[in-house]
Order: sequence, then C-alpha cells, then structure tokens
Amino acid sequence: MTLLEVKNVSMIFGGLTAVKDFNLTLSKGEIVALIGPNGAGKTTAFNMITGVYKPSIGQISFKGNDITGCRPDLITKQGIARTFQNIRLFKDLTVLDNVLIANHLHLKSNFLEATLKLPRYRREEKEIREKSLGLLEKVGLVNAQSEKASSLPYGMQRRLEIARALATNPEVLLLDEPAAGMNPKETDDLTEFIYQIRDEFQLSIFMIEHHMQVVMGISDRITVFDHGVTIAEGTPYEIQNNQKVIEAYLGVAEDYA
Amino acid sequence: MKQKKTLLTVISIIVLFIGVYFADQNLDAYKTRILNLCAIYVVLGLSMNLINGFTGLFSLGHAGFMAVGAYTTAILTMPDAVKGQNFFMVPMMKPLDTMHMPFFFALLIGGILAGVVGYLIGAPALRLRGDYLAIATLGFAEIIRVIFTNMQTITNGALGLKGIPESSNLWWTFGVAVVTVLFIGSLINSSYGRAFKAIREDEIAAESMGISLFKHKVLAFTIGAFFAGIGGGLLGNLLGTIDPLMFRFFLTFNILLIIILGGMGSITGTIISAFIITIAGEALRFLDESITIGNFVIPGISGMRMVVFSALLMIVVLFFNHGIMGTNEFTWDKLFNKFGRKPLVKGGNKQ
Repeated sequence: MTLLEVKNVSMIFGGLTAVKDFNLTLSKGEIVALIGPNGAGKTTAFNMITGVYKPSIGQISFKGNDITGCRPDLITKQGIARTFQNIRLFKDLTVLDNVLIANHLHLKSNFLEATLKLPRYRREEKEIREKSLGLLEKVGLVNAQSEKASSLPYGMQRRLEIARALATNPEVLLLDEPAAGMNPKETDDLTEFIYQIRDEFQLSIFMIEHHMQVVMGISDRITVFDHGVTIAEGTPYEIQNNQKVIEAYLGVAEDYA
Repeated sequence: MKQKKTLLTVISIIVLFIGVYFADQNLDAYKTRILNLCAIYVVLGLSMNLINGFTGLFSLGHAGFMAVGAYTTAILTMPDAVKGQNFFMVPMMKPLDTMHMPFFFALLIGGILAGVVGYLIGAPALRLRGDYLAIATLGFAEIIRVIFTNMQTITNGALGLKGIPESSNLWWTFGVAVVTVLFIGSLINSSYGRAFKAIREDEIAAESMGISLFKHKVLAFTIGAFFAGIGGGLLGNLLGTIDPLMFRFFLTFNILLIIILGGMGSITGTIISAFIITIAGEALRFLDESITIGNFVIPGISGMRMVVFSALLMIVVLFFNHGIMGTNEFTWDKLFNKFGRKPLVKGGNKQ
C-alpha cells in the first residue's frame, strides 16, 4: 500500500530550480533514503513534503489525500512527522516537556477545560504523560526526563528529537540526517534504533543521510539527487554500481584505480 | 502529596486575605492606594507576561486593551447623574446613559470587550514577528486611544470621565490578582501552556510538531488582552477618573519594566517585581523633590525617579538579563526540598 506519493514535484526559487521533477513512492514499512552531495536539494524536498515550502509544480499525496502546500501543522496531524538537520529541540524546556508538547495536536479539550482541569482534560493529560514516559523509556531517556533538553549529549538529543516526532503518532517519519555528527558506535546504535522503531510503531521512514554505512545497510531503496535532479533510483546494490552516481557523488572510484 | 500542596495553597490564600483584612482596617488611604496598585500591576504584568514572556510575542499594545477595559467598566458603573455632569458638551449616546450594572459584571464585560479587541488586532498583526509585531501592536494601541479621544458621545473624548465610583478596594484588587495568578498559572502548566512555550522556543519546530501557530498565538494574545482589560477596569475604578492621555505608551512601558525585571516567563517574578516597582515608584518620590545634602541643595527635578528606573532597567538588562526569577517559579516542591533536607543533614551529623 502506497502511503506517501510525490509526483513530478519541482521547487523553483526565482531563477534557481532547487528540485526538479522529484518522484517518490513510500509504502508501509519501507525505509527509503535520499542521498546526494551538499546543496543537491535534499532538505528542500523534505521541506516540500512537510509543508514548509509549497511546491512550484507537482503534487504530493498522503494516503490518497492531496497535501500539496498544506500548513506544516496540518500535515503533521495527518501523520507525517519529521526531525531536523540541525537539531531543533525546545532547548530550555525539560526532556519530558519536549515529548509532551508533541502530544498537544491530538488534545481534544479546549483551553478552558485545560485551565480549569476538568475531568476530560485530566484524563487526557494522564494518558499523554504515560505515553510520553513510555516513549522516553524506549529511547533510554527516562532518567533524564526532568533535565533541560539542551543539557543532553548530542546523540541523546538526536534520540529525543526522534522520540518527540514519534509522540505525534506518525505513520511516516522523515529523518533529516539522523546520523550527522555521530561517532561509529552511535551510528551503529542509531541503525539498530531505526529498525526498532519502524517495527514497533509500524512506520515508513524516509531519510536523508550522508553516512554511506547507515544508508546502504538500512535502506530498501535509495534515491540520488544531484543539483536538484534525480539521477538514480534503486536498491542499495544498484546504486552502488550505478556509474552516474559514482561520477556525480561518490567520485572516489578514480582514486582507487 | 498533591492534596497537601493544594491545602497549602488554600491556606496561603487565606493567610493573604487575613493580611488584606488587617491592611484594610489599619492602613491609611495612601498606603491602601499603593497596595491596590501593586495588586493591579500583578494582574497587568501577568497578562503581558502571558503574551511576551510565555508565548514569546513581542507585543506593546497593552495600554490599548487597558483603555478598553477601563472605559467599559467605568461607563457601566457610573450613576446616571454623574454621567449627565460629565457629558456637558455633547450628551451621551442613548442606551449607555442610563445603563449600569454591578461592578463584577462591568469588569467582566470590560475584560471580554478587551479580549474581543485583542482578537481583532491579533488576527492580522500576529502574522508579523519580532520587532514588526511590536510596532504594529504599538500602533494599534495608539489607534484605540485616538478613537477613544474622538468618540465624544461614548467616552466624553479628551475630557475624560470623572466621578467614577471607586469600587476597587483591597478585596477586589487582591481577589482579582489571586484569580489571575491561579488562572494563568494553571493555563501555563497545561498542555496549552506547553504549546505556548514551544512557540516561544522554536516556531518552526512547534509548527512541525502539529501546533497551529496562528491559533495558539491568537489564543494567548486574546487571553492576555482579556486580563489587561480587567486590570484596566480595576485601575479606572480605583483612580476615579480616566482620560485617553492616561493610556499612552508610557503605561505599557511600566508593565514591560515589571515583566523584564521579574523575568520573562515567570509568574513568581512578575508578582515580586510588580510589588517592587510599584512600591519603589512611591518610595523614590523624594528624588523628584529638592534634596539637601549638607550645605548642598539639589533642586527638585520632576521625572528624576524615571531616570533611576531607566538606569535600573539598564542594569537589569546588562547584568541580570533573565530578571529576578528568569523562567523559574516558586513551587511547594522547591520549598520542601530547601527545608526538607536540613533535618537529614542534622541526623547525619549525630552518627
């Protein structure tokens, strides 16, 4: 079943075409990676899917609904959550608060019910707290729940960001360079962690990543970008042997020759 | 534990009101006035802190919302005869000239109207950010003042309103202040409050976590305007006379001073600094008069107080840029932790 479908999407900033004719299908349970050199338009593609940018041309649909150019919060409500390339946690708030906030979108009580602590809100708040603590337990942050988010070590901040995204109950998770700045040990843990959350939360994952070790190991399919143009698509094996990709991106083949 | 904390809160509110009772009985009119102003500034400070401190919207429109609340409450509580005396140039508009109601309802309607105005201003203005929002809200507040100056048949224009029943007493001001503290405190600690803080911390992240920026910004702005209106109503009916010139930017600045000194995003800080600023404003009055030091006579310069205040604000911004409390709050838990440990330490020494 296709969850997310991106059809012939282009993003044009003035005279610059950042992304051209981008196509993607993401089915349930799949892990798809997007790779490409710096400035290839990967994050722009992400921003179009999550509603930060409205695509100039093309259509994006999620579970059959057209979501092209929807507001980011509405897209998240539909079930697409994301993390950011440069971590964007709520730095001065506690770890637990960070996750609690991501539950707010499903809150049914209005602000008066919440302020006066009426029964429906109390029940919802209790559920939210239990769910958030459960998530923190899973990512191994439950002991740090009352620390400031900015005081966590880097790898943990990445995990917290993923936990926060998971708290919105997504079906599709977009990870923007989850392994950036991680050491080999942390990278291995992350790969393991991504598998774990995919199975546990029945997610489809679309990720941007530079660590070839992670990408090749984890992805079902890979899309390669260069200057906004899709130059290759396929399984990790196909990509590794694709001459265009080697020329445009890996380029290192010559060094060994 | 939770019940114990609620009990402590109830007890401290009762203690506060016993204090209010004694203050009401024993203090002279001048001191009572200052205490009243303190409580009103708590209400105003909290309402502004909700917008500026907790939600991170740099808004300077407070004087406008206060004017709406103050005029509404005043008009709805003034007796007919006084209205006749006030509107000697142009008679007052028809249904208003004989309309009055109890102070509580007048205050509530004043707050609601201010909230409505806040919503109408907020809906377009909150698309702006940072300094631009500040300028837009400042402009709207001035517009409200100018409109009030020109609505002769409703507000009596530049002449202002005199002889407003002085209904605000210590019970009213402290009562409203306690309700405001409890309401905003509870709102901030709810899921909505967390959403407000998320917007303050990082708008892009908040939006991608499914928080509707527009809805929550307008909500915070409207609630802030509501309480500003209530504070304005209390102020008008405390002073007994209001005119449009009272609601200039200077008034907004005073409240801004309170929340910056107290800590943007701290309820406790706002309460403390509302008292400090209001009391210091009176205590430093000697600076405006001529001072004799030995043989030296420094002639009185009116406004010297404000120079001191400005210097104070600069010192705060430069050296304690999070204010007295930063974003910290007083909670019973912290108090227990502070005093709860001492017996343990003593017990440890015995062994």
